[in-house]
Amino acid sequence: MTHPTAETGARPGSAPQSTAVPTRSSGHQGFAVAIATAIAVSLGTAAFSLYGSGEGAKLSLSIVFGAAFGFVLQRSRFCFFCMFRGWLDERDPRGLLGLLLALGVGMAGYALIYGAWLPDSSSGRLPPGAFIGPVSLVLIAAGLAFGAGMAISGSCVSAHLYRLGEGSPTAPFALIGTAIGMALGFLTWNALYTSVVVTAPVVWLPATLGYSGTLVIGFAVLAILAAALLRWKNPRLPDQPKSDSVLHSIFTARWPAWVGGLAIAGLGTVAYLRVAPLGVTAELGARSRQAADALGVLPTRLEGLDTLRGCVSAVSDALFTPNGLFVIALVLASFAAALVAGQFKPSPIRSSHVAKGLAGGVLLGWGAVTGLGCTVGTLLSGIMAGALSGWVFGAAVFIGIVVTLRGIRRSARSA
Amino acid sequence: MIKQTIWAGALAFAIALLPAAASARENPLVTTDWLEKNLTNAKVRVVEVSVEPGQFERGHIPGAQNIVWHTDLVDTVKRDIASQEKFQALLRKLGIDKDTTVVLYGDNNNWFAAWGAWIFSVYGLNDNVKLLDGGRKKWELEKRAFDNRVDAVKPSSITLTAAGTKLRARLGDVLDVVNKKSNATIVDIRSPEEFSGKIFAPPGSQELSVRAGHVPGALNVAWGRAVNPADGTFKSADELKKLYADAGIDGSKPLIVYCRIGERSSHTWFLLSKILGYDVRNYDGSWTEYGNSVGVPVTNLAGTVWGGK
Repeated sequence: MTHPTAETGARPGSAPQSTAVPTRSSGHQGFAVAIATAIAVSLGTAAFSLYGSGEGAKLSLSIVFGAAFGFVLQRSRFCFFCMFRGWLDERDPRGLLGLLLALGVGMAGYALIYGAWLPDSSSGRLPPGAFIGPVSLVLIAAGLAFGAGMAISGSCVSAHLYRLGEGSPTAPFALIGTAIGMALGFLTWNALYTSVVVTAPVVWLPATLGYSGTLVIGFAVLAILAAALLRWKNPRLPDQPKSDSVLHSIFTARWPAWVGGLAIAGLGTVAYLRVAPLGVTAELGARSRQAADALGVLPTRLEGLDTLRGCVSAVSDALFTPNGLFVIALVLASFAAALVAGQFKPSPIRSSHVAKGLAGGVLLGWGAVTGLGCTVGTLLSGIMAGALSGWVFGAAVFIGIVVTLRGIRRSARSA
Repeated sequence: MIKQTIWAGALAFAIALLPAAASARENPLVTTDWLEKNLTNAKVRVVEVSVEPGQFERGHIPGAQNIVWHTDLVDTVKRDIASQEKFQALLRKLGIDKDTTVVLYGDNNNWFAAWGAWIFSVYGLNDNVKLLDGGRKKWELEKRAFDNRVDAVKPSSITLTAAGTKLRARLGDVLDVVNKKSNATIVDIRSPEEFSGKIFAPPGSQELSVRAGHVPGALNVAWGRAVNPADGTFKSADELKKLYADAGIDGSKPLIVYCRIGERSSHTWFLLSKILGYDVRNYDGSWTEYGNSVGVPVTNLAGTVWGGK
């Protein structure tokens, strides 16, 4: 049987995973802690030895931030799809409230950095490196495809990555599907770019609203969304279990979504300050672009792609890139966290895992390339950055999930 | 007693500053030490011109301002350097006046800082502009502080004169030399592989040429030979003099330097013109203009034809 959260998607912020594994021999636990400690020490050693000036500092910090991100994702089960589904199916608002909190605190964090980097937001210049993408029909199509991919494969790219560390049987196929979908994204890119994207506006809200205006309006929108979630929430939701031990709360019990949201907002802010906005698709995209290029199926030039702002990166010759190390550290840290919490549960692979993973993954990959990022890069980092593209992508993802889930369930009923 | 001590202190301070200030006026380069002592000097404006976006914002020399070379220093529609009005507006915004000492620095061995210095000189501010020797790299290697806040500066009211022609070569000037209508030495500062025509441009360059090779008669001295690789500083004036003399360049004839788009050649322009005092013009059209021009003579040693043979 698959494990409860990864495959059936437990409600965010609800049922503690620890209760699913009440009895474990102390020998097993000791072994798990030893392996997790070894992983933590290896990541720390790698980060320490890479630390140096310039690029070295970025590589080193990428390991630290990736590990922290993986740990937070696993501990709080910060899965965008589960949050949306928790609300749609059970009217459980806790996951989405955690996401709204992450967006609000992250917006404030970005604004603090912006104020130092670009004191005048109306200068016509965009803040360096922030994920502020063009807003067009292509972005909406990307969001719809990405949302559909989430509904089919059971989560988004970042959640598949941390579930890889939990031994999910779907995640590997979803990530392979993502790589294939990304190659398809690159194949369709030139036509989409020259017909639509090239003339699409790149809207950075502080350029017109100023930093304070963006924050006021952004907070207001988040507050309205939160009020709506609370207004129509299910009044009979199970309480979060109480834990009396700090160690148990941190390493075993599931973190409440709002704790995860706060941690991710802080991480998003410091990651932008020191390396780049949070994102998990840049390296994956570069590698699949490289592979597709080697097979000779890509056009020799991808128009404009490398000049746009998003979680995409040009193919580089370097063995390790900041985003590559970030993703590797993310998976290893979530594996270590899952081991200690007793949530590393590899299960036998069935054909439905392969089919759902690959099919959903292809949609995720296509959406991540044409939307210039995923739910982390375009939605989370984009909204924190004051990009209109983040909000548009988020809305399209939501619609994509709703429509696809309905379709899946209708066909299941009629079958 | 106290008064005397203060006077003595002030005198010692003034004496300590004197040689630094004097050397800064004469030398086109400033050292990291000098710059660190002059960060609060109101007559010094430090400006970063880096290639990598986000470099300045994540940490710059305290008090420095930023110039984005690919929008601030060029005309963003037609291929040209920034117009007089545009460059003047930029200098006013950065609070640079006729009597300001401008210290430019950047990443990548000061490539774009040198390009910036050349544009300052083209607009008549040749005596004002200096480079931080070693640029970002040396500052970082010496573990000096960076800051990520941008200081507000009081705008200036500087008025520029039109761009001069003495420091800038155009295609026609280069062709006059090739066709022996004027007498100058052309220096190609690209890599030997680009010079010989084995490759069109360094890997990753988007802007290419239709023909490979170099301007007939050009001498090849790759820009990187002029720097100390450890910290990116220029070699000493004596070493530089010998390096170029060995290549047949001794300053007895006017020089024209070029590269692919005119920015690496600014680095060589800076040292030949400002450190060695030779008569040098930068050909900013460079190989992306020359190698794309119809009917101009080309020397292509490797015989590369559009990537094949």
